[in-house]
Amino acid sequence: MKIFDTRIEFFGFIAAACVLLLVLPSMNAFFPEGSALHVSSFQISLWGKYVTYAVLAMSLNALWGYTGLLCLCQSLFFALGAYAFGMYLVLHIGVDEVYNTPLPVFMDFQGYTELPWYWAPFEWGPFAVLAAVAIPGLVAFAFGALVFRSRIKGVYFSIITQALTYALMLLFFKNNLELFGQSYILFGGNNGLNDFKEIFGADVNSAATQRWLFVASVVLMLLVYLLIAWVLKTKFGKVQQAIRDSENRIRFSGYSTTAYKLLIFTVCAMIAGAAGALYVPQVGGINANEMTPAKSLDVVVWVAFGGRGTKFGPILGAVVVSMLKSYFLRAAPDSWLIILGAIFIFTVLFMPNGLVGLPKQLKPLWKRIRNSSAPGGESPATSGS
Amino acid sequence: MARIPAEKHTPLVLSVEGVDKSFDGFKAIDDLNFYLSDGELRTVIGPNGAGKSTFMDLVTARTKPDNGKILFHRDDGEDIDLTRVREHHVSQLGIGRKFQNPTVYKSHTVYDNLKLSLSGKRGLLHALFYRESPSDRDKIFSVMETIRLAKHADVIAGALSHGQKQWLEIGMLLAQDPKIMLVDEPAAGMSDEETERTGELLLSLEGKHSLIVIEHDMEFVRQIARRVTVLHQGHVLKEGSFDFVKSDPRVIEVYLGRQARKH
Amino acid sequence: MKKILLSFGMLAVAAFSSAQQDATREVLERLALAARAEQAGLLEELAALGDPYIKDFVGAWRTGEVFSYEVSEDETIALRRVSERYIRVATGESFEVADEEDERLKKIRPSRKLRRALKTITDTIDLSSPDAKTRIEAALKLGLSQNTDYLEVLRKKLEIEEDAKVRLKLEEAINISLLANAPDDAALSAAIERLGELKSLPARDGIAGIQDRAAEAGDEALVETCASAIEKIDAARRTIERWGNLVRGLSTGSVLLIVAFGLAITFGLMGIINMAHGEFIAIGGYTCFVVQNLFADAFGVQSAAYQWFFWTSLPVAFLVAGAVGFGLEKGMFRFLYKRPLESLLATWGLSMIMQQLFRLKFGAANVQVNTPDALIGSLEVGGVALSYTRIFVIAFAGVVVLMTWILLSKTNLGLYIRSVMQNRNMASSLGIPVSRVNSLTFAFGCGLAALAGAALSQIGNVGPTMGQAYIVDSFMVVVVGGVGNLLGAGLSALGIGTVDQFLQPYWGPVMGKIIVYFAIILFLQWKPGGLFPTKSRSMDD
Repeated sequence: MKIFDTRIEFFGFIAAACVLLLVLPSMNAFFPEGSALHVSSFQISLWGKYVTYAVLAMSLNALWGYTGLLCLCQSLFFALGAYAFGMYLVLHIGVDEVYNTPLPVFMDFQGYTELPWYWAPFEWGPFAVLAAVAIPGLVAFAFGALVFRSRIKGVYFSIITQALTYALMLLFFKNNLELFGQSYILFGGNNGLNDFKEIFGADVNSAATQRWLFVASVVLMLLVYLLIAWVLKTKFGKVQQAIRDSENRIRFSGYSTTAYKLLIFTVCAMIAGAAGALYVPQVGGINANEMTPAKSLDVVVWVAFGGRGTKFGPILGAVVVSMLKSYFLRAAPDSWLIILGAIFIFTVLFMPNGLVGLPKQLKPLWKRIRNSSAPGGESPATSGS
Repeated sequence: MARIPAEKHTPLVLSVEGVDKSFDGFKAIDDLNFYLSDGELRTVIGPNGAGKSTFMDLVTARTKPDNGKILFHRDDGEDIDLTRVREHHVSQLGIGRKFQNPTVYKSHTVYDNLKLSLSGKRGLLHALFYRESPSDRDKIFSVMETIRLAKHADVIAGALSHGQKQWLEIGMLLAQDPKIMLVDEPAAGMSDEETERTGELLLSLEGKHSLIVIEHDMEFVRQIARRVTVLHQGHVLKEGSFDFVKSDPRVIEVYLGRQARKH
Repeated sequence: MKKILLSFGMLAVAAFSSAQQDATREVLERLALAARAEQAGLLEELAALGDPYIKDFVGAWRTGEVFSYEVSEDETIALRRVSERYIRVATGESFEVADEEDERLKKIRPSRKLRRALKTITDTIDLSSPDAKTRIEAALKLGLSQNTDYLEVLRKKLEIEEDAKVRLKLEEAINISLLANAPDDAALSAAIERLGELKSLPARDGIAGIQDRAAEAGDEALVETCASAIEKIDAARRTIERWGNLVRGLSTGSVLLIVAFGLAITFGLMGIINMAHGEFIAIGGYTCFVVQNLFADAFGVQSAAYQWFFWTSLPVAFLVAGAVGFGLEKGMFRFLYKRPLESLLATWGLSMIMQQLFRLKFGAANVQVNTPDALIGSLEVGGVALSYTRIFVIAFAGVVVLMTWILLSKTNLGLYIRSVMQNRNMASSLGIPVSRVNSLTFAFGCGLAALAGAALSQIGNVGPTMGQAYIVDSFMVVVVGGVGNLLGAGLSALGIGTVDQFLQPYWGPVMGKIIVYFAIILFLQWKPGGLFPTKSRSMDD
């Protein structure tokens, strides 16, 4: 079965894969610093971050754009994945020089002398990788089962998922959890997990590692793109969109919309978790600020701004908005939130199809401008159409 | 009491017995008894608030009754209690429903709309790895012929006219090939010609499917009516041929009378 | 804030007893200059006077601010130095001392024995205060010090005290003192028993200590007595905590209620999810702040008029937020009707912009909104102190609910609102000015949020993100109550607010909140449409 809609899409995909997987990493690796063709390691890890954002946006798009579920806990899943892998990283810092402890420093502060049992498995890399995907998946599955079973949808779904994000954010801001008289150490509270040293035996901050992480992020993005493109071509994808357009109709046609939504929700959470796991070593840390409801809404802006319900829109949106953010945070830090808010409002009011849909949206306008500026005789004939 | 007896030899497909349903103290359905024979075309009429839509909701398990039995009699002789079934299973059992407002998947093509409705498996894996078979294609095209949308196979359903959407939804029911078809106001918003053709279509289905048609338009009811059930305040007021119920003084009073006065 | 209170308190003290003070000053001057033999008599005289000025003076005396001054050979007077000036102790009038080095000016210091005697007088002085509350506080303080010197003073006071409440506290204080100073076991047991009956919270730790020692010594009877007293005290404490929680919960719930009312109206009427609702709360809070500053500039913080700032800012907050809401409805929200998801996004954008504007204008830190004097303090009911601010917030919510109800059910606008809510098209074809109704209703909803913010300024913080803490909760309120249903919103707001407060002592604020959210999700399993679901026949909602 064909996966791509058009030849342009196919060649675009191949070209993007070549540039991102081969050209950029080689330019980083083989050209010396100062050369015009050199791409700095800073740029590589910056773009690696954008790519994980793009994957996050794609996972939200699969939910919101194609299934009609405006999920406001996507950044929560992203952060859960990031935390799971961050736990692995923070356990491989080695003995701290200042405090002389093999444990993460925040545990030492709390008077812990050995690793709590629920932290121990994360020392093993493969487990952490698995957990980064499985934990968001499990949370999504349990939560989704409850929510979808009781037919919570539309804005109510958004509100409930926002509450989930908020509640877990509060939890992750804490240092300890007191439960039934037992105290459990959490995940570093306000500071979160950071100061990583080593990943699978390699120096996490070295150019080579960052390059590989970038490549891994791109591979993840390409795979997710292929997955989404493939699903859209199957009957599953059609059911998905039918749920968005008329859930009752599709249910009366015999499809268990609960099961479909649950599967989609869970898989999207897992994708977000995987993106989070790749995000954390490239950025160098994770804390509960990444879990605020505002972060989830940021992802919504990326998707809406890029073009929801399109395959490429979320990627474009994530990258463009993130670039704008890093530019304005330097150029005009006070006004960034105002600009972001304005993008939000403008997109909703005037750009329902986002950047990707803009050419189509502007076509009639463009035509009119061209016609009115064209020499007199022609316009009356075409203005009727 | 002058009732047209149901033909004894035709087996029943649906029996509704002693069903009550109230919302916040308002009795939408009150001790309703209703039987549908195999292959029968039944028209249900009644004034607004008579409980017609609630009746459909009950049969399709969208709402659960407070009391009473709703049984679906399958060909294999098994009786299924529809009050204990989840909504999406109802259609898998062979009961299809067309909603009052035409409800189609507006961003899919006509073809895909029908493809999603084709009878068959509904599971997640099936949906992921489903491949269209030639017989599925034939089936879809024959349905499109029936509903006269063959030329519009690749049109996005959202772009169809109101009447075409109504037909498409009927077509989706046909593709599903249900035992019982529940059709809620199929002629609403249609031109006279379209209405007549809809009537013909429904009549042609009689015998192959069992149909319950809810309708307001009396001209249309006259066209398709075989046996008519008049609902009033959630209860069967009268049942019989169109002429029979039309001449009943109580029916005239609660329904036809009001209509007559209005026109 | 404290400064203001203090100065008010001093003014009040100054007014009430100038006559008594003259006598006190007289005695103090004599005491300052008296020979050792005369002191005892003067001290007794002083103790009887019980004037708060004594404390003030003794403080100054101890820190070396009191001097003797030989006016002539046979006249010596006492002077007190107050910020570089000298005043005569006996009269309170200022006295010119030409030269600091003047030999006639001598610093006088009280002897060690005198200091002790004075300390007893100053410590017990509050027991003679005309204010019952001060007497109670003093009694407890003296009791808890378990100093034998005070035991006698307390007993004497008990004999002459007339106020029943103060008598009980005096008794409590005596018994607490006896915990350490009981002459024999029988007296100790009696004291413990009595403290149990008095449900004395301050005595609990002391009794627990005695219980431990008794257990070690094997004194079963005493252990028993202690246990039963502690049990009584704990029961009383639980009751107090429960009531305290209830009031805290109800007041939080009341704020939620006002917020959720506004949300429910805008959502029910126009299908708009207003994520910026929280920022309208902040508008209310900041309006109080601005009005307070205007009042302070115009009248000064000491004036009586200043006290009116809060009451003035309530209607002002409503109007300001209403006007902002009106403008935004015209400019933005009316494009979003019945598009809840889009409205959620656009209003989120708005919320970010507004938050940032607050930050730029007022700074990122919280600002201080004062409490008007009328709301300072607390109402004591059966040992439970209910702060006036919280009671005010609850009552205020009641008034707001009542006004909303009157608006919706008794006025023309209310009739319009309800008809537009039910059927927009029908209402407009009946000639109801739908767009005006929308604007006004939206403005009203925003005004309600600002009122909530104004109320919140008394029990919480005012800052750029103050609304965020409430917005998630108030959305939950709307969902649980049933969308667009005011009764549902009311019940669920109070319910969520109270349950939250009751869980907090056991689970902590974070787990409490998580449990509440989880309970809400489970509740929606049972009632997906909330408490009062809206019924609709349409298939696509």
